[in-house]
Amino acid sequence: MAGIELRNINKIYGNSFHALHDLSFDIKDGEFMVFVGPSGCGKSTALRMIAGLESISSGELKIDDRLVNDVDPKERDIAMVFQSYALYPHKTVRENIAFPLLMAGLPKAEIDSRVNEAARILELTTLLDRKPALLSGGQRQRVAMGRAIVRKPAAFLMDEPLSNLDAKLRVQMRAEIASLQRKLNVTTIYVTHDQVEAMTMGDRVAVMKGGVLQQVDTPQNLYKRPDNVFVAAFIGSPSMNLYEAVLNGRTLTLGSNSFEIPDRVFEGRPSLNGASNRQVIVGIRPEHMNDAAIRPSSAEISAPVTLVEALGSESMVHLNIDASWVDAGDPDAVADIGAEKAAVARFSPKSTIRAGDIARVAVDAEELHFFEPDTRTSIR
Amino acid sequence: MHRVSRPSVSGILINAAALVLVLSYALPYIYLLMTSIKPAADVQQIPPSFFPAVISFENFREVLQSSTLPKAFINSLTVAMLTTALSLMVAVPAAYVATQYRRRITTFFLLFALVTRMVPSVSLGVPLFQLLKSIGLLDTIPGLVLAHTSAAVPLALLLMSAFFEGVPKELEEAARMDGCTRFQAFRKIILPIITGGIAVTALFTFITSWNEFLYALLLTSESTKTAPIVIAEYNSVYGLAWGAMTAAAVLYSLPVIIVTLALQKQIVGGLTFGAVKG
Repeated sequence: MAGIELRNINKIYGNSFHALHDLSFDIKDGEFMVFVGPSGCGKSTALRMIAGLESISSGELKIDDRLVNDVDPKERDIAMVFQSYALYPHKTVRENIAFPLLMAGLPKAEIDSRVNEAARILELTTLLDRKPALLSGGQRQRVAMGRAIVRKPAAFLMDEPLSNLDAKLRVQMRAEIASLQRKLNVTTIYVTHDQVEAMTMGDRVAVMKGGVLQQVDTPQNLYKRPDNVFVAAFIGSPSMNLYEAVLNGRTLTLGSNSFEIPDRVFEGRPSLNGASNRQVIVGIRPEHMNDAAIRPSSAEISAPVTLVEALGSESMVHLNIDASWVDAGDPDAVADIGAEKAAVARFSPKSTIRAGDIARVAVDAEELHFFEPDTRTSIR
Repeated sequence: MHRVSRPSVSGILINAAALVLVLSYALPYIYLLMTSIKPAADVQQIPPSFFPAVISFENFREVLQSSTLPKAFINSLTVAMLTTALSLMVAVPAAYVATQYRRRITTFFLLFALVTRMVPSVSLGVPLFQLLKSIGLLDTIPGLVLAHTSAAVPLALLLMSAFFEGVPKELEEAARMDGCTRFQAFRKIILPIITGGIAVTALFTFITSWNEFLYALLLTSESTKTAPIVIAEYNSVYGLAWGAMTAAAVLYSLPVIIVTLALQKQIVGGLTFGAVKG
């Protein structure tokens, strides 16, 4: 087991494409760290650099306080699970799992006992003599995990290991990997583009975009206190609703709607105090907008309803707020949004609101997020 | 119970077309076979007969007892085997590096190998003659092996590249994470996966050398002559020895047929390699 330290890591490819900019953070011994971000954000590149499969253009990478910039992958004592699993097709499950031990030159008895132990943990015992081609996706995933854990490495690296599984299996394996990691207590770096995986599995999450680290924090803090507009929108599903707004004294004007902001909001944000015509980006989480008919509030807006998705436990209400919508800059999200840039509110299932109604929406004004319109960073 | 289905019209047509195609390839060879087992006197009868009236092996006896052909067979076999081994030793690692570590230079390298196939071999014959003469390898087995290898390597390189393209890059990376050096990853993981492809490439390389005529004609004389040259020499100033020539040709085609049948499984596996990924 070991901690991992990244100091000003840069990756510049031969064609001068700058894939990673000054990446710096520490991963503690035994910690489950998740790298998350949209496609092309550099998360896989960062992982491959830690693995040693990608060279480091500048900066320092330390594993267990040892500088490993130029150390061969096999000398780094880390195991990796690939997105495609990369099982050796000509070897049986047993031979696949035993391979790293064989390369390490362990005695045969030791190899056998460790392979059997790993197979038992991952429930692969009955499959040990099969070839990978005869296994299902979930079983292959387990074999890939087996090949990683059998070595008892200093750290696990996992590159989107669940993305080839169907949705149901993915939820199951997500829980299994998280509990396995806690049981083995091995430092783990897990790459995913799925923020739900990131939030549910990680002790801490590093959010990346365009090769730049946006924020590293616990899932709770990322959700509660996002550093910028991108993190605010990326973490949470449905996304935070972001609009341009104007603050005058204590009155926030959002399109044709205005409401009062409670004093408590200003306590942690001195720069907003006594504002006059201050432009801000305001962020409202879906769960902080409710049906005013059920939960009245002093801060209310009204907006036409374009769509209601009744999920049973809650209703997703799409609203056409007439303020200027803010693009959070998630390259993967643009295609989903299309022409309609609706706000989404999470109403109680008791709400009787329908598409076409003008909804009175109660805003939980204490839970608003504020960002600078030019730098897009959080106002605190 | 299975219902006996009536053959459809399109089925009959497809089978008929397949038969025509097969016969167009097979007939010359069958005629060669038939001619080789005719008695010497029947070979040149007019009008010619397709099937022999009597089966006779005198043509085979004649060529096998001749002083030149058995020696030429050994030469051909030696040259073809050495060419295959040398070509694979060059092409397998080269194709692996060119495909797994793709750079502009490796793409150029593969294209350049293809370009060499466009040059007519007759135009390379004279320079090769000069080259081998200058290093003292003219009219030697190693000399002919080098000439054949220069012709076979581009083909082997292209075939092997196609097979390596089908191997996911992650396999090598996984092996390196599991404690292999790059070379160990190649030897322990990639090579066993690619055996079908190597078998196909070996076979094509072997056949290229085994059938090669022009370089063998230009670069060898008495002691190092290969079989195609000896077979061609049955057409001499004294006349055309049809019987002996066909018998020698049949004998000469046998090794290729045997090897192809023996490697059939690997060849089919190799040709469809990468089509379905596990």
